Amino acid sequence: MIGLSMELSDDVKAAKEVINALLKAKKTFRMYPETNPMYLKTIQDTHGKFRNFFDYRDELPLKIKQNELFLDSEPIYQNPQKDDNLALFFFKDGLRELTFKKEFSLKELEEFMKILTVDYDKEVVDDDVVTLLWERDFQNVKYHVDEAFLVEDEGYESQAVDNVKGNAPEADDLTRAYEDAFTEENVKDVLIVPLTNKDLHALVKELEKDAYDKMDKLIEIMFELFYQAETKSDYEDVVHFLNSAVEVSIAHGNLDAAISILRKIKDIVADESVSDNVKKNLNLVFSFLGFDTTVKLFGEFLDSGVEIDEKALNEYMAFLDKNAIQPFMTILGELKTIPARKNVINVLIALGKKDIQSLAKGLYDSRWYVVRNIIYILGKIGDRRATDYLLKAAHHSDIRVRKEVIKALGELGSEGVVPTLRDCLNDPEAQIRTSAARALGNIHSISSKSAILKKITDADFMKNDFNEKKEFYEVLSHWKDNDIVELLIKTLKKKSFFRKALNDENRACAVYALGLMGNKDALPLLYKLKDSNNRLLREHTYTAIKRLEYA
Amino acid sequence: MHSKEDLAITAKDIINQLAVIIRTAAIHDPGNVAVTTAIDKLIAIINPLVLEGELILELRGEFFYIGEARIRYSLEYLPNFDFLVREFKRRGLGSVIFKGILKPSDMQAFLKAFISSGPSPDPFETLTDGISEADGLGIGKLRRIRDEAEGGGTQDIRREVKKSYFNAVSFTRGVITKIKSGEKVSIKKAKRVVESMVDLILEEEQLLLGMTAIKDYDEYTYHHSVNVSILSVALGQRLGLSKKALTELGLVALFHDIGKIEIPSELLNKPTSFSDEEWNIVKKHPFWGVKAILRLRGFDATSIRAAIVAFEHHMNYDFSGYPTTRKPIELDFYSRLIGLADQYDGMTSSRVYSRIPMPPDRALSLMMERAGTQLDPILFKFFINMIGVFPVGTLVMLDTKELGLVYQSDAVFLDRPKVLVIMNDKGEKISGHVVDLSEKDSNGKFLRSIVRTMDPNKYRINLAEYLL
Repeated sequence: MIGLSMELSDDVKAAKEVINALLKAKKTFRMYPETNPMYLKTIQDTHGKFRNFFDYRDELPLKIKQNELFLDSEPIYQNPQKDDNLALFFFKDGLRELTFKKEFSLKELEEFMKILTVDYDKEVVDDDVVTLLWERDFQNVKYHVDEAFLVEDEGYESQAVDNVKGNAPEADDLTRAYEDAFTEENVKDVLIVPLTNKDLHALVKELEKDAYDKMDKLIEIMFELFYQAETKSDYEDVVHFLNSAVEVSIAHGNLDAAISILRKIKDIVADESVSDNVKKNLNLVFSFLGFDTTVKLFGEFLDSGVEIDEKALNEYMAFLDKNAIQPFMTILGELKTIPARKNVINVLIALGKKDIQSLAKGLYDSRWYVVRNIIYILGKIGDRRATDYLLKAAHHSDIRVRKEVIKALGELGSEGVVPTLRDCLNDPEAQIRTSAARALGNIHSISSKSAILKKITDADFMKNDFNEKKEFYEVLSHWKDNDIVELLIKTLKKKSFFRKALNDENRACAVYALGLMGNKDALPLLYKLKDSNNRLLREHTYTAIKRLEYA
Repeated sequence: MHSKEDLAITAKDIINQLAVIIRTAAIHDPGNVAVTTAIDKLIAIINPLVLEGELILELRGEFFYIGEARIRYSLEYLPNFDFLVREFKRRGLGSVIFKGILKPSDMQAFLKAFISSGPSPDPFETLTDGISEADGLGIGKLRRIRDEAEGGGTQDIRREVKKSYFNAVSFTRGVITKIKSGEKVSIKKAKRVVESMVDLILEEEQLLLGMTAIKDYDEYTYHHSVNVSILSVALGQRLGLSKKALTELGLVALFHDIGKIEIPSELLNKPTSFSDEEWNIVKKHPFWGVKAILRLRGFDATSIRAAIVAFEHHMNYDFSGYPTTRKPIELDFYSRLIGLADQYDGMTSSRVYSRIPMPPDRALSLMMERAGTQLDPILFKFFINMIGVFPVGTLVMLDTKELGLVYQSDAVFLDRPKVLVIMNDKGEKISGHVVDLSEKDSNGKFLRSIVRTMDPNKYRINLAEYLL
């Protein structure tokens, strides 16, 4: 803004402050949500500037030129730039005068600010400033618009009037009309049917009924269009509209409307009398559900926080085809809420069964969390075909992914994964080693037992962290075989002068495992250890005894 | 102090409560507890307001005002708004002035006078006499808006109305040309055009309706679209729709026939009747309309409504009409409303294949026969209340032996419009002057009444010469 006259009267100064406050508020409104204290403060401050002005005058009339705003003839705002030009913002839509009255309220200011901050460049905005002012119908903001903005053809009016007057016959026949008028039949008693209260109440009901969403009605009409279609292009048009209707329904969170369309299509496709070509066209709508844009909208809908009817969601999912897998994997990494991710994971579990290969492509996603989700999904699918893909991911660079792979492999329970899991027992990361042990425990086979045993009996195993060792022993306790009991008792009895603390850690793990196995035969041995000098051993023994005694 | 917004809310309650009192008093004695309770309620609303000074409730045209603030129609109170407008007009009552603290006795006196003024030959005088002792109340005579705008003012308003009307037609022509050539259409501009029509309908309904009476334009399609839009918005306004809803209605109506752009122009401009095959093509325009709108605008709320109306505007209330559907479709409210306006304008227009338009009063009689079958009966009642029994453009002979053209309808006296006299009682052509058929002499008898109606087309009378 450029500084203007030298000596300004108080009202002009106050008007300039109003404009500055509006400009500032415009920025604040774009930055802060309505709930933010800054938002409220800005409205109050700006309203304060208006009140200051109204101390001097009852109205604030702003004259609007392309790059200037005037109070009477006094310029109070100038901006030669195109961007953020308040004068141009009003001027471009034909607004030439804007008057705020003294009673301009805080609530009206807030509404006015909302008009000022709309992003009019967005294609979806169908209103300009004048329309929004018109719709709000402010009690205390008056405006004048130059309608020349609307004139399409300056000369149209005079041309049309000349034409219509020129269409007149050379001479009318008024005299004959006058004569005939005496011979015409008299007007009968005009029946004026007054509006009754019943009529008015019926109308009120009609208007209430009319307030409902019209999408369902349009869907009905689109299917009428379909049934009346004659040419290939007619069918293509309808399919295109149906696609758009599904898209809009999802965008508006109206899953029922989308499902209603899909159900109808399904019925038509199932109808034997419908030609294959028509079916082929209609099936495109199902494919459309799997397009990037549609899936993205669906993701936004899931993320919106609205309560989603599970039954409707499942029905919608059933209409999806395998082409939706990739787009759903894409949005999986973009969703913000846990429920939305959970829903998408469920979608992918259902869809992945149809095409595990496409799903497995998600293992190459650059986002580790997506890969982890895909692994989880592959695990939940429970298909042994998933194993090969999981095995490849077992060497993923991210530990969180590797952990998930190991877990999934364990859940799949295939014997073929044991060598990979066995390798993982030697992973440099303790988390991976324990995950692998747990997975091997889940598989619960001879080879998996042998892999765990081998690890536990390895001389270096003793050096591992106590918690890791404890995890391994816990896994081992899943096999309630005698050889395991013997091994544990042997461990318990083992005494060592060197590395005594480490040996006691091992013994504590064995105590822990015996407790978990529920083998009461171990109690006499455990009683002997309950007063051990080693705190770890003593505590674990105490717990194991309690577990066995009260089992 | 009450803000204007608070006052606007309270104002609706004032109108509602006043209507309730009058209705109750029409059934019960003013001293009845039902009436006194209702009076107490009104007093409770009024008295806090008059503490700040005099409060004037004024009827201007079809709307009530408090001060300069127009009280918006409220759907909730629509029957009572409508009732009060009628009752005020019947009595020539323009305003009720609440001068100070209102007492129950003031309202009792007002009610008594109001009820007894109904059958009186001079209701306003009766009313004035009746309330002479009510200190807290005063009344004012109904002012005629047109009377307020002296000479030049009226001409200015007419010019403005004409300008807006032709602007809308020219815009419609531009839009259709653009659609045909596949160009983008600015909905922002379309909205502004309709908003400007809505404003005129709210302020100058009869003048704008008068513009729709001239039908002999060269470009029927564009004028028809605008006429249907104007008639629909005017009807919507009578139904109490909000300004925003009126804009949507106007837009939807403007595009109701958009499917016709697909009809080959040689068929559309065929001067003779259509063959069956040609009719079948014409009857496809509702389908084409849906497609054109959805292609143009996608699926926003307005385009959904526009597509529905484009599809249904030739379907009738009793499921007759076209296109036929596999199962009966319950017509959308806008479709019934716009369909009514479309039928009326179509019947009274000169089209290529039917050069002689139907006189407006005959079109209305025909539509009256269809009300309840092809047409929604309630909407038709509203329509006839809006357009008058003798619509603008009807050629009429008066009982004074003057010949004239209906110039403007009267909202209360539907059979007593304003008439432009074009021949005097001696059968001599005169340069028209407007007479108001609701005017009475000192004995309470109407000065003029319509005795006969005739077809202006039969006598080659060019309405544009008189009405434009």
